[in-house]
Amino acid sequence: MHLLTLVAAESALLPSRIQMAFTLAYHVILVPLGVAFPAYTLLMEGIGIFKKDAAAIRIARRWSVVMAVQFAVGAVTGTILSFEFGILWPKLMGRFGAALGMGFAIEGLAFFLEAIFIGIYLYGWTRLRPRTHFLLGLALPPAGVLGTVSVLATNAFMNTPGGVTLGSSGEVTSVDVLGALFTRALAYEFWHFLIAIYITAGFIVASIYAVAWLRGRRDHYQRLAFAIPFTVAALLTPVELVVGDLSARALVADQPAKFAAMEVTWKTRSHNPEVIGGLLTDSGQVNFGLSIPSFDSILIGLSPDTVAPGLTSVPATARPTIAEANITHLAFDAMVGLGSAGVALALWYFVVLMYRRRLPQSRWFYGAASLAGIGSYAAVEAGWATTEVGRQPWIVYNLMRVSDAVTSAPGAVVWSMLSVLIVVYAAFAVIAVTLLLRLAGRWREDAIDTPGAPEAGVPYGPPSERLAADAPGRVKQGISGTVQVIIAAVLALLGLGIVIALVIALSLVGLGAAARRFIGRFTRSSST
Amino acid sequence: MTTTFANLTAFVLLLTITAYSVAGGVDYGAGIWDMLAGRSPTAERARQLIDHAMAPVWEANNVWLVLAIVICWAGFPMLFQSVFASLYPLFSVALLALILRGAFFAFRHVQGGPRAQRWMGVVFGISSLLAPFFFAAALGAIASGQVAVGAPHVSVWQACFNPASISFGLVSLAATAFIGASFLVGDARRFGQADMVDYFRRRAVISTAVLIVIGTVALAVIGLENRPLLNAMLTGLGTPFAAAAVILTPVVGFLLWRRVFRWYRTLSVVVVGSLVFAWGFGQSPYLLPGQLTITQSAAPLGTEVLLSIVTLAVVVLILPSLALLVYLDQRGELESPQA
Repeated sequence: MHLLTLVAAESALLPSRIQMAFTLAYHVILVPLGVAFPAYTLLMEGIGIFKKDAAAIRIARRWSVVMAVQFAVGAVTGTILSFEFGILWPKLMGRFGAALGMGFAIEGLAFFLEAIFIGIYLYGWTRLRPRTHFLLGLALPPAGVLGTVSVLATNAFMNTPGGVTLGSSGEVTSVDVLGALFTRALAYEFWHFLIAIYITAGFIVASIYAVAWLRGRRDHYQRLAFAIPFTVAALLTPVELVVGDLSARALVADQPAKFAAMEVTWKTRSHNPEVIGGLLTDSGQVNFGLSIPSFDSILIGLSPDTVAPGLTSVPATARPTIAEANITHLAFDAMVGLGSAGVALALWYFVVLMYRRRLPQSRWFYGAASLAGIGSYAAVEAGWATTEVGRQPWIVYNLMRVSDAVTSAPGAVVWSMLSVLIVVYAAFAVIAVTLLLRLAGRWREDAIDTPGAPEAGVPYGPPSERLAADAPGRVKQGISGTVQVIIAAVLALLGLGIVIALVIALSLVGLGAAARRFIGRFTRSSST
Repeated sequence: MTTTFANLTAFVLLLTITAYSVAGGVDYGAGIWDMLAGRSPTAERARQLIDHAMAPVWEANNVWLVLAIVICWAGFPMLFQSVFASLYPLFSVALLALILRGAFFAFRHVQGGPRAQRWMGVVFGISSLLAPFFFAAALGAIASGQVAVGAPHVSVWQACFNPASISFGLVSLAATAFIGASFLVGDARRFGQADMVDYFRRRAVISTAVLIVIGTVALAVIGLENRPLLNAMLTGLGTPFAAAAVILTPVVGFLLWRRVFRWYRTLSVVVVGSLVFAWGFGQSPYLLPGQLTITQSAAPLGTEVLLSIVTLAVVVLILPSLALLVYLDQRGELESPQA
């Protein structure tokens, strides 16, 4: 009997891992649009209101429709993820749910807030005064940040568990709420991911209009819709480089095996080369890579004498396999490469902006910009692969193995569920893309001041506001102006308050820890 | 201290399940009527009304489901593990139905000629049937006492499909059709479509009768097959709620039959809510009857306190915003779908 359950568990492990990876990778595509895109939309609406620019308002309103479509898909894929924790990894939640679940409980709150405020934002275009509408919209980015920080708190716990006391059989006996939510990895994971999705959202939106530029549509509307998101994303790329560097360095102490896998270092050593590309073999050799002598050691501790951890410093059963190490390494290289390309593109943009005092005119630039969105997405996916595959074989680092958390359902059940999911997710992609293309086609034909609603035909949000155009008196039906402003101000303040508190807390916790670690390493390596 | 907070969390969990049953029930119910409408000009009008009534809340109900899941795994980790280890087939089917439903509702708006639309409607309708059945069957399976702590102690098949789980599933189907029809009466009235008011009024009255019959049969089956469960339902804390459901269901049917368009929606919400409460309070203090109590399964104090704070935040932040959203929705929606 015991052997039988063992075999069953083994066969469910592979499909469960594939299913989790597949559904997460899919959901991550929607995250930048759900979390960061509202901020760009609000920025555009703000410009529209305060500079009295009808085109900007039109852009914001159309973007909000895209936001709604992606939110509907994200709501479904997110629901599936939450169920998968039970269907695929019941033992993980049974043992660590008390700690891991807290982040998700806060995420539940954030998700709820987002759902409601996206609804209010969509309904409000014709039913609220512009300023009130804008102020209420301000609740969206904080809700997104709250959701991000809480999901990452869960992931950070899996990487650097803390804040819990474990009993004799490994069960959680007491939970220090703040300790378990704000584990060491949270600070760097949070900033790294948040900036990444803001860059991705900015670049993916801008890349649509870069393509439009290449096709000859270059009026005020198109330039505005390109320049605003592109500028913000471009400004963030160098910041991401620094934050990413801090994150990678923090891993030396926090998860040496993951760091060793990222750099395909076999034996712990000083003067460790930085290997770009290449594949690790079973014997610890790296084939085909481009090796820069001592550069890894220099990157870690600013000196070639700095000791870099190797994979063999961790027992073979507690570190990634060779294949997993190679995936981690290549994903890491892809992420760093794409990130550096993003910085180069940003540099190009700002040089032209500063010296020519206008947007770039080169087709090459817009060709590159039209790829920036896809590139950012690839970088985000590669980053997730790095952190998840690099943690193997652990689901909670050093405390619980993936194989101990997996469901005891027969593998065939999970395989069949996975195949259905792949088909349905493909259908979702077709629906969303068809819908957006159709909308884009119609929007192209509309003039900026046509009365037609950009929302018409979207199976989400307010049905249609054709009547608003037919009967302009309806607009006045809304809540009285004073009440509107009060509600908006209170909600916006609450939202902003959450974000400010989070930012302060995370900055103190994270940057303090990172700085201490960095100084500590620096003094250590210079004293030896 | 831990017990107080754990009880509070358990109550909040019950409330979120109830909220999903009501909000989701209205939604799934509309899907069931969409499927049962058949093919006629009247059916097309009914479909248009259903579409129009459903579009604004498409997939937004999932937040209640997600909230219930996260409260369950953080607040009662061992309950979560046990339930999913034993009942994963039920949840897998419910989940697939849920996503197919969302996908095909959207698909119907985006693509295809009349024939494609029809079979997309069929998928949409079937998944509207499967989801409420399988979610409720999971509650029935828990009530039946067949879910063991940790790993399953009977075969997964037996834990998932027994008289209690199937009875719960069928009652849920009837209740879903019932609350769906009742709310569609309200939508038809809001859009001023007299023929549709009558169309859904008739269906609401019929589904009231069906709910009463299925409910009675379900009770009889549970009494024959699982005596302890029936006793618990008739003598425990859940009894007043069960009684409320028994009394109020015919009242809703009567109101709609006599064309008294007042209170019928509120009362149908109370009926569905009472059914869920009858289950939840009926098996308290047990989460898994006879095996795992609320206190035994509760997460350490810190987590329970955090969950209370989250709950408070939901009340303070979400309820006012939700009220605003509903207000805005009702404000601008006075037009009829044909306009």
